[in-house]
Amino acid sequence: MMEGLELISFQIISAVGTARSMYIEAIQLAKAGDFEGAEKLLEEGQQVFLEGHHAHAGLIQKEAAGEKCEFALLLMHAEDQLMSAEAFSILSQEFIDVYKKMKGNM
Amino acid sequence: MKKIVLLCAAGMSTSLLVTKMQKAADDEGVACDINAYPVAQAKEVGADADIVLLGPQVRFNLAKIKEQCPNCPVEAIDMAAYGMMDGAKVMKRVKEVLGI
Repeated sequence: MMEGLELISFQIISAVGTARSMYIEAIQLAKAGDFEGAEKLLEEGQQVFLEGHHAHAGLIQKEAAGEKCEFALLLMHAEDQLMSAEAFSILSQEFIDVYKKMKGNM
Repeated sequence: MKKIVLLCAAGMSTSLLVTKMQKAADDEGVACDINAYPVAQAKEVGADADIVLLGPQVRFNLAKIKEQCPNCPVEAIDMAAYGMMDGAKVMKRVKEVLGI
């Protein structure tokens, strides 16, 4: 069981971690003026993020069905990464919009 | 003895991968010293490393880490291998890059 939970935690960390990196790279591209590349990365990031979200949702559904999930620091870390990635998803879109506006005004 | 450095945000999730990679290396008889560190320590721990690998969550730092560790290859760990904690697959990539 522990092995299974460890694996799911890693799937979450790997997926949302990759997404988080993509969101940040998207901001960097927008900063450099490549808005098309930034939007593309943002879209790719959303797809990868969903993989992590599905893995996490599976755990919650199991718990709701009465199969209690054991606490592990690694799972908490995975959820932490998930929240951070979600915040970056929202902020990266805002940042890209701001860079677009700045470019239009200059 | 090859020195392999893994970096992630806090050195936490990669430390589990270290165990898996070390096992794969031992099974294949490859002598190496594998350790996980937070990305903030990159410059210090990368100074005498043979290869530096980044976790998916710090991949966006790749260009910066390459600057901080100019003497060895620096690359991001394959996302699928990381998600499956596939130490053998990551080890295979290390052997390819280092030519061992």
